[in-house]
Amino acid sequence: CLSLLSESDDGNFILQGTQVKDVVIKPEAPNTLLLDKHADYIAAYGSKKDDYEYTLSEYLRMSGIYWGLTVMDLMGQLSRMNREEIIEFIKSCQHDCGGISASTGHDPHLLYTLSAVQILSLYDSINVIDVDKVVDYVKGLQQEDGSFAGDKWGEIDTRFSFCAVATLALLGKLDVINMDKAVGFVLSCMNFDGGFGCRPGSESHAGQIYCCTGFLSITGQLHQVNADLLGWWLCERQLPSGGLNGRPEKLPDVCYSWWVLASLKIIGRIHWIDKAKLRSFILACQDEETGGFADRPGDMVDPFHTLFGVAGLSLLGDEQIKPVNPVFCMPEDVLQRIGLQPDLLN
Amino acid sequence: MHGRVKVKSTAQQEEEKRKEREKKLKAFVSARDAVLRKRSAGEHDEEALQLTQQLLSSNPDFATLWNYRREVLLQLETSREKDEVQKLYESELHFIEACLKVNPKSYGCWHHRSWVNTRLPQPDWTRELGLCDRCLSLDERNFHCWDYRRVVVKESGVSVEQELQFTDRLIGSNFSNYSSWHYRSTLLPQLHPQPAPDSASNTSPSPTASPQIHSHRVCEEQLLKAEREEMISCVYVSRERERVSVAFSKPVHLCDLPPGSVSDISNEHNLTVHWTEKYTHRDCALYTGCAESWCRDSATDQELFRSELSVEKSSVLQAELQSCNQLLELEPQNKWCLLTIILLMRALDPLGHEKETLAHFQTLKEVDPMRSSYYSDLCSKFLIENTILKMEYAEVRVFSLSNKNLTTLCHLDQLLLVTHINLSSNQLLRLPPQFAMLQCLEVLEADDNAIESLEGLYHLPKLEEVSLRNNRILFSKQSKCFIRNPFSAFRASAWFDLVSRSQYSSLINSYRLCRIMEGQQI
Repeated sequence: CLSLLSESDDGNFILQGTQVKDVVIKPEAPNTLLLDKHADYIAAYGSKKDDYEYTLSEYLRMSGIYWGLTVMDLMGQLSRMNREEIIEFIKSCQHDCGGISASTGHDPHLLYTLSAVQILSLYDSINVIDVDKVVDYVKGLQQEDGSFAGDKWGEIDTRFSFCAVATLALLGKLDVINMDKAVGFVLSCMNFDGGFGCRPGSESHAGQIYCCTGFLSITGQLHQVNADLLGWWLCERQLPSGGLNGRPEKLPDVCYSWWVLASLKIIGRIHWIDKAKLRSFILACQDEETGGFADRPGDMVDPFHTLFGVAGLSLLGDEQIKPVNPVFCMPEDVLQRIGLQPDLLN
Repeated sequence: MHGRVKVKSTAQQEEEKRKEREKKLKAFVSARDAVLRKRSAGEHDEEALQLTQQLLSSNPDFATLWNYRREVLLQLETSREKDEVQKLYESELHFIEACLKVNPKSYGCWHHRSWVNTRLPQPDWTRELGLCDRCLSLDERNFHCWDYRRVVVKESGVSVEQELQFTDRLIGSNFSNYSSWHYRSTLLPQLHPQPAPDSASNTSPSPTASPQIHSHRVCEEQLLKAEREEMISCVYVSRERERVSVAFSKPVHLCDLPPGSVSDISNEHNLTVHWTEKYTHRDCALYTGCAESWCRDSATDQELFRSELSVEKSSVLQAELQSCNQLLELEPQNKWCLLTIILLMRALDPLGHEKETLAHFQTLKEVDPMRSSYYSDLCSKFLIENTILKMEYAEVRVFSLSNKNLTTLCHLDQLLLVTHINLSSNQLLRLPPQFAMLQCLEVLEADDNAIESLEGLYHLPKLEEVSLRNNRILFSKQSKCFIRNPFSAFRASAWFDLVSRSQYSSLINSYRLCRIMEGQQI
């Protein structure tokens, strides 16, 4: 517990108790890994095409498919998904400019271009799309200062720097961009606390830190990170419940089991987190009834949190799950097949 | 997707909910289909604005709709006069604000607002700043809003001082003020490009007002300063081995030594190592009759592990240390206090405060056990720094740090000259590849650790005695080890699996004294 001290009238200090923002895990929360339930949940997700949540999340469908397929592959259940349908869907989402959209009729964007390339890498079918055009699209989004826009409308964010290099790395085409400038821009987003934000001057946030450390890993620049300082900021994300938050004084969320944990792994400091307590938290986020993981215990599940819960457990060493690559959030065996082994700090 | 509680309800409530959602879904689908149809038909009109408005109010993350809206607005611009364009975009700002009320954290909304301001003939930055003020008063941690505010401030020329005052107000009124502190960290360097000796107290609140933030800031400052510069740590020349070793504090790109750099003919050598990128160099003279020579900056003089302290800065830090100690008496379990005290002591007098520091680390691990690995590593780092300083004061080349709960090794670039190293009875898991920097090492004692492989013994040309009893060196097919000691009778020039004792006897032969076999735990 933190406490606030304030001066009373006679000049002595008054102690005011203040709670740390956190959740309390109920004793009846799940404490074993229900892999089969999760596989069933994902396999059935989206089969009811008239589902409310499903339809409303069409704007991110490509990423949704990537989350579902990746978690199924990590659980050794990829074969239950409809490969042919998905590949046809991806083909229908590549636009003339080379970029790929989240769904048919939607506009192309770097986020969904990466997700599509990740999916096709899982399926070893990268050539069903026009790879050269994808490369041109990505290259065309780099700005003068080295940053990347998400699409032609110009939003700048270090997330997009990560999307750009991850996409190109998977395609073996990192050399087409101005690497020095790209690195320069990401480093200009490093803050006093060793973390990274969206743009220069933006507050450190675990999601951005994942993107930037992933970026620096792919581009061979991890030595530019202050690993001790950043590692400390990251391990301070762990709350008494064992869960991780995304920045100071926020609630824990299972997806930070990925953003924070993967970042720690990349900078060689994953041992700074209490692994057993984190594992308990992640397991408590499962829904025993429906399968899947929610952001925190008792909430509604979704494929996004299901992937990051399972991926987090994999990073923690759960042997029932395939090893996951902390930079790409894809099974290690897929990256080995591609021949991609980005550096990590030790 | 975040923060949706799963609520149990009766069968009837479930049915009602289902019907409600079906209705909503139908409305959404028909509106969405209408919009996408219009767009395919290339229609950029008022109706498009109305339809997208309907959808975006409750679905602001549907990015394609913002794109369509921008296309429509750009199209409408072409047929309007300047003052009509102004009105058009002002009403757009109105719409965006309504969206933000519903969803203040939508990337799409904030980006669209930025875009609108680039199209407005006359942007009103005062109004935009007001919007930011209101938004931050509702949620001071909204980073979208802070990022937008930075754009507004830049465009409208609001002064750094003004913004600092703004953060002052927020910090004074709100405990959850990390965003404000972050903002200050970017503003202050603009005001003071060269930090003044007393500037530490400007950047942190007093320890009593906000212990966590204060400690955070002190910690960051100290840890940041403790981050060493890129430099040549040491140059070492060996006549016998005809070799120049250069240790850098950070990884560098290698280049080839110019041919004939070290001659084996002349008896006296004057060597200079130029690091052109950093405009720095090191000179080293190898005299007749000397087997070796070196050049190394003093760790103690150069304040290698901490920043130089002016008298003023010293007294500022002393005062802070005093405050923290007072706070610690009131709250002996306050981890922020403990950590801040440790860092302040290191900044002021690392060797003098060593005992206290170790005691505080012990308490820290008890009070904040989740992060005990972090504290162990940090403590190890400080002990290594102190040992390097002590070695220099004693003018010896022996590094001894046994039975100190060491969990990690660092600053190996400072150990180029070390001939004997004793790391016994610690908790080391490995001798990392950087161990190869110990080019003068003759004797290694690292019994009673948890070392899992022999990878650190690569490329140690002077190594003669190795003791690694009671570790965890794996004797399995998976672990391969490459040992090469070209100056011994034994040369192992191939990879071999450490599978059997007989193969190990070869290893034993490569060193004058080699104790590895005993006590390994598999």
